[in-house]
Amino acid sequence: MKVSLFITCLGDAIYPRVGEAMVRVLAQYGVSLEFPKTQTCCGQPAFNSGYWQEARASAKTILDAFEDSDFVISPSGSCTGMIHHYPKLFESDPVQLARAERLRDKSYEFTQFLVNVLGVTDVGASFPHKVTYHPSCHGTRLLGVKNEPMALMSNVRGLEFVPLPFAEDCCGFGGTFAVKMADISGAMVSEKVDHVKETEAEVLVGLDMACLMNIAGNLRYRGEQVRVMHLAEVLAEGAGLA
Amino acid sequence: MSAQKGRATVKERAELALNDEFLVKAVKFTTERLRNGKKNASAEHGNWDEWRERGRQIRLHTIAHLDYYLNLFVDNARANGVHVHFADKGEDAVAIAMDIAQRKAAKTVVKSKSMVSEELHLNHALEQIGVEAIETDLGEYIIQLAGEMPSHIVIPAIHKNRYQIADLLSEVAGEKLEADTTVLAGFVRKKLREKFLEADIGMTGCNFAIAETGSMVLFENEGNARMVTTVPKTQITLMGMERIIPSFEDLEVMATLLPRSATGQKLTMYMSAITGPKRTADADGPEEMHIIIVDNGRSLQLGDPEFQELLNCIRCGACLNACPVYRHIGGHAYGSTYSGPIGAVLTPALNKNVAEWDDIANASSLCGACYEACPVKIPLHEMLIYLRRRKVETGNGKAVETAGMKGFAALTGSSAAMKAALAIGKIGQRLVVRGGEIRTKLGPLKGWNSYRVTPSLPRRSFRDRWEKLDREMDANRPQMAPDMKRRMEQIVKERGQGGGGHGGH
Amino acid sequence: MADIKQQAGLAGGEAEHADWLAEMERASRAKQETFMNGIAARLRHPRMTSKPAQPARGAPDFWRTFDWTPEERVERFEANWRSVGGHTARAKDLADAGRFIAERAQELSARIIVRQDQEELASLALESSVPEAEVSVWNADEDVSWKARAAEADIGVVLADQALAYTGTVVVRSASNKGRSVSLLPTVLFILIPVERLGTRLGEALIPMDEGGREALPAGVHFITGPSRSSDIENDLTIGVHGPGVVYAVIIG
Repeated sequence: MKVSLFITCLGDAIYPRVGEAMVRVLAQYGVSLEFPKTQTCCGQPAFNSGYWQEARASAKTILDAFEDSDFVISPSGSCTGMIHHYPKLFESDPVQLARAERLRDKSYEFTQFLVNVLGVTDVGASFPHKVTYHPSCHGTRLLGVKNEPMALMSNVRGLEFVPLPFAEDCCGFGGTFAVKMADISGAMVSEKVDHVKETEAEVLVGLDMACLMNIAGNLRYRGEQVRVMHLAEVLAEGAGLA
Repeated sequence: MSAQKGRATVKERAELALNDEFLVKAVKFTTERLRNGKKNASAEHGNWDEWRERGRQIRLHTIAHLDYYLNLFVDNARANGVHVHFADKGEDAVAIAMDIAQRKAAKTVVKSKSMVSEELHLNHALEQIGVEAIETDLGEYIIQLAGEMPSHIVIPAIHKNRYQIADLLSEVAGEKLEADTTVLAGFVRKKLREKFLEADIGMTGCNFAIAETGSMVLFENEGNARMVTTVPKTQITLMGMERIIPSFEDLEVMATLLPRSATGQKLTMYMSAITGPKRTADADGPEEMHIIIVDNGRSLQLGDPEFQELLNCIRCGACLNACPVYRHIGGHAYGSTYSGPIGAVLTPALNKNVAEWDDIANASSLCGACYEACPVKIPLHEMLIYLRRRKVETGNGKAVETAGMKGFAALTGSSAAMKAALAIGKIGQRLVVRGGEIRTKLGPLKGWNSYRVTPSLPRRSFRDRWEKLDREMDANRPQMAPDMKRRMEQIVKERGQGGGGHGGH
Repeated sequence: MADIKQQAGLAGGEAEHADWLAEMERASRAKQETFMNGIAARLRHPRMTSKPAQPARGAPDFWRTFDWTPEERVERFEANWRSVGGHTARAKDLADAGRFIAERAQELSARIIVRQDQEELASLALESSVPEAEVSVWNADEDVSWKARAAEADIGVVLADQALAYTGTVVVRSASNKGRSVSLLPTVLFILIPVERLGTRLGEALIPMDEGGREALPAGVHFITGPSRSSDIENDLTIGVHGPGVVYAVIIG
């Protein structure tokens, strides 16, 4: 059984600690992850901007890298969601299309794999903090990841969960949107942070480092000390694995 | 209209809107209310996704056989005594409506809410030939007085507060009216009552047209659409060619989806099914009834696998209320008749003019809230990407971005290139990193860093750390529990039999 | 003399108008073919002239068997009606309902009442129980401008053809003796609902409209779910914007 880690760009370059946490949590259950070093980016920035030719170039590295994998696990619902778009991206290329469909069917976001495949909802963690949760759009709406993180958090000892007002509203990241429509994106992230502050949580948890980088960026900009963590980090730290 | 369109880009118009504190507050307040109303109403009704799927199926089927159903509708409407007309373009519809008005020597036309009429800018044309066209939906009346276009499909004057409205109505009244909702609405009731009774023509839109009986159906709360279809001697209905559903049985599904999605109501206060002009012995209802069936770019979507579903839209406005971008910038920033996510797709699609309206498609974070809210499940968030792609494919991409994306492909097309770029980034960032953060507002980070700080790149990427981590894990990893292993094997096995595909839509 | 000329002119105008309509009709029928052919071509199929099989028609199956008991229907209907700002009352028979309406009419000092021309409404005996008001019977006299009459009326009285509890909706069908204006133009509206006409789902009123077919449909079928309302000013609810603001649903039996 070959279980592969799809680290994603941000996970590789900026937040290596998230991938590390994932590896450690999964190792607890005997999951031996392998890491194909030829992987690059899922191609989402190009795909979403309409540059599909360019997106195909990156997508192919992903198709190649995970050709032989049985399960492909990533710390991002958005990047896994992009893999769900591959069949559309390659719809006029039967060979790549078949590969794209195979990859889509074996790709999982971290909590999907942990809860729905391994059947784990309690990693035995303890995290005595006030926590709120931002459900990222692509993970929840594209992949349907809704109950998995809730189940995992509800079994963390000492974790005091505070619901985030307007949780399902986009944080305003949207890839190139944040650059092209900087003011609209800025208004959106500012409102998201207002809501985070309302919860008086110590920690903001999420499943997508892009959104979390966006929200954390605004929190820091405003001098707020709320800690921003991927759920994998909470689980690893809480279980004494970090 | 022109003043709003005059500002070149969505970005510029959005900037204006973002700085209009009242507008932002008003739009947030109302969309939040509508959004919660919808959530509660759909939850209370139950099985919402099954109803949505039903609605989608009915719309998909009708549009896929539109030549049959539209033709059936037309034949039945004629048999009911309706004069049916066809308009390929907006100006054809305008010409037909003006012709009827002139033949009837009409002085005034009372109108109930019609997005098609907004799309055609019909009021302006009627004014040109000396016909007074009066919007009678309260919100539409207000924006007509203000000389604006609707900023929301369902709540046209969402951007106006009652003081602004009081000023507009006071001018009509010739006296100072108190900025009190009841007073203002009372004034409009009285004023428009006179207009209904003296008008020569009543003009309506059409929510649904029933193919099998030739009936047209209107949903409304105020009663003005009933006025317009009951009092004047002549009725003109403007109808988008895609408004068809096969039967009244299907209307039950639409009537379940539309009001709940629009305002959270179980049903609008009035739903009227109008089948032809008044019968000879009837003492009210129009003596003469016209239906103008409008294409105006709609047929361009037919047979286009990526956009045909756009015609399934039932104009409920739920996508506007769910949209975090609309919520911050309001409807006028979109610069067209249709705003919000549906407008961002519909406007370029109807105009087949991707290049001109390109920046509307960019005003979205692709969060998918519109799709989730849509009662007939139109994948607007995906259509936005298709629009962007078509713009690039037709060679209308911005030069800087095109170059950037070429570079992106070169980098991400090979892990070695990406690794090299990362190494350069780590060196380059030394110039701007302070305390593990980047705060500079120069260069490409200007927009981003106006609202955020950027994290710096850590010394070692995940890639760099992998081997050590992997060795550490190998040394301590327990055996996988047999049931987990079995489950994984089972999943892989089922996948081969076409059982795969988890999550997603 | 001038009068005669004017009349002749009018008649001439009408003939001319009829010619124009006929001309428009010819053009429209020709256009219909190209329009439909254009759609078929875009959809990439030959013109469809026979009814396609419709895989999903109407409400989901689980919904079709959904039904409330008669008591539940009354309870839910009334709750829905009140929740949108309507008023409800229960009467044991038409005479009882007549007394109720008469009392309200006197409270409101109604001057003009318009009712549909139906036997059930005649038996309300409003003419005798509200002597201070003028009670008009819809379309009873050719020389009256009935729309104007309804517009000046304080009270309209109609009999529901059907009612549906799930949405709190009343159905009224137009006819020569049942004006559309009566449920629309007066300030206050009374709708009488014989309890046996109260069903549960919207489909119970809609499906028979298909079954009866085009020719059985009146010009207007109106589904009324409460008083006229608007939230167009600052999302602040106002009742009675164009239609009746005070609406009583009186369930009889």
